Amino acid sequence: MRLLEKLQILADSAKYDVSCSSSGSNRSNKKGQLGNAAVAGICHSWAEDGRCISLLKVLFTNYCIYDCKYCVNRISNDIRRASFTPDELCELTIEFYRRNYIEGLFVSSAVIKSPDYTMELIISTLRKLRYEHNFNGYIHVKSIPGADLNLIHQAGLLADRMSINIELPSVQSLKLLAPQKDHQTIIKPMSFVSEQIQGANELTIYRKKQMFVPAGQTTQLIVGASPDSDLTIIRLTQELYNRYKLKRVYYSAYVPVNADVNLPAINTSPPLLREHRIYQADWLLRFYGFNAEELLDEKHSSFDTKVDPKCDWALRNLDKFPVEINSASVETLLRVPGIGYKMAQRIVRARRIAPLSFEDLKSMRVVLKRAQYFITCKGVYYGDLDIDSGNLYSVLSEKTDSKAMYGQISMFGGGY
Amino acid sequence: MIYVTDGSFEGILTAVFEAYEKKEIPESIVSRNFYQMSLDTQVREIDTNEEKSGRVYHRVIEKMSHEALETMYKAWLSEYCEIGTALYRYIRIGLKIGPGILSYLQNPDVLRVHDLAYKVSGEVHRFLGILRFKKLNSGLYYSKIEPDNNITMLIAEHFKERLSDQPWIIHDAKRNVFALYDTNQVIFTKEDISVYTDNGADETFEELWKSYFKAIAIENRKNPKLQKQFLPRRYWKNLTEMQ
Repeated sequence: MRLLEKLQILADSAKYDVSCSSSGSNRSNKKGQLGNAAVAGICHSWAEDGRCISLLKVLFTNYCIYDCKYCVNRISNDIRRASFTPDELCELTIEFYRRNYIEGLFVSSAVIKSPDYTMELIISTLRKLRYEHNFNGYIHVKSIPGADLNLIHQAGLLADRMSINIELPSVQSLKLLAPQKDHQTIIKPMSFVSEQIQGANELTIYRKKQMFVPAGQTTQLIVGASPDSDLTIIRLTQELYNRYKLKRVYYSAYVPVNADVNLPAINTSPPLLREHRIYQADWLLRFYGFNAEELLDEKHSSFDTKVDPKCDWALRNLDKFPVEINSASVETLLRVPGIGYKMAQRIVRARRIAPLSFEDLKSMRVVLKRAQYFITCKGVYYGDLDIDSGNLYSVLSEKTDSKAMYGQISMFGGGY
Repeated sequence: MIYVTDGSFEGILTAVFEAYEKKEIPESIVSRNFYQMSLDTQVREIDTNEEKSGRVYHRVIEKMSHEALETMYKAWLSEYCEIGTALYRYIRIGLKIGPGILSYLQNPDVLRVHDLAYKVSGEVHRFLGILRFKKLNSGLYYSKIEPDNNITMLIAEHFKERLSDQPWIIHDAKRNVFALYDTNQVIFTKEDISVYTDNGADETFEELWKSYFKAIAIENRKNPKLQKQFLPRRYWKNLTEMQ
């Protein structure tokens, strides 16, 4: 098979993995070698679906011994199959990198023969890249569920980032849709990698830095393949950040690729708005000091479609508002709808030089469309509606533009 | 009073020096290229002077911080037509309030310079990603770019670090500026060097990249509006995958 054909097949099979980030590592280059990693990450292009392309994201092979119901590569599907050789994948990575198409490689794989065999093929590719091609660019490697921990450790010494996809947010869903995998084959390597990363950080204190997955560990959850609620998803997310110190949790709106009684119908559109709301909540957990229980609870277990999770929270906690822009703490400002992380920092710095008026906020380009109802400036309230008028929800509801950016919203509300 | 300079960063700093020395407050500092003569305004011609501009340069670092100087320089790279006046006002405020100028964004004159610098930094970061090299038959890697701002100097450093073992040329076709790297050092020039770049390229990997680009998009999530929001149309013509 020609390389072009392989690339098409193995990129096509990898595209449902949404992680694209190339951030978090600052591997440097050495004279006469190739590449480095930029801490902030760099996007190189944007595909037709609007998602960023940063890494060459491919499967090593899409031959698979498993039959996970939600997966396009399951053994029972009649699709075109291919495998790279380690040299082919190295050549693609290096030639793309030299032309500045990519930040590096993101290699995942279906399971060929056995988890260990698959992991060994991936490791031999990474070894060639690092030692034969002297490649210092970014490498994201997926640990294959069920692979020996020793192999996972070897891969971790070569990669910048590792991930293992949980995919299904609850044990019940996993049993139903991926009966050959069990929860332990996913959680065990995840906690192993998490311990190794911390171990490497501690070693750094008294000897030369040992690089073990310097950009940290991530995972992916599928949204909408199983009946799990938003609450289940963000509680799991919270645990992953707190307990396993994950760098990111990614969410992938389920695109139906297989027909099965336990899955949404094949013509269902991916729940893009739901995915978007969960991403917003994820940011609130990571950067805005919220916890999952503040955002959702048993009675109220899915996100509102019309307002974002922060706005939703604020509307349920109107007694905490309005807050004074010139004296509220950063933590409090971060809870104001419409004020983002950067703006909160900007406000706190600017007000040290001189107190801020409503006009000042406008000229600093704080977006006041939503924030105006939740703040005062020098004691004055500028919202064109009273905060307890009861009409705020309808004023703050997003109109049709969210549909254009995140896709069809028709199918949410009910759940499956 | 209007001060007319050659438009260079040093020229503008020289003009600022003259204004302080002559205890004048020029209403604007303009570049000769943009300046239109009018009969009723007084004009002072400024000759760029290394020593005078150097004194303002160090004064800015000392009083306002290194970051403030960097902000000013980046803003200058935007080639905004009133950049001379904008920088002059920025310095006047900065010498009064010190390093706090970086946070004083409620002031419109400060915000303008900050915004210009921000725009330039944004485009620098964008080009670290969207710049494309072709591998010419000679073995040289060649890239043609047409950025909105004059960013070649700022991006060359990144590629020197990253692609340190391959010779490359970055060509800003809008301004006809070249950055040349020979695996040792980067040289900037305006001389025509097309003799080195006029030779065919190996297109095997360009074709592979294009088909990768197509394969990676999810059909059910097609969203050209979102794609254009991240990657505006004007950048497409030098992008391999868009040809």
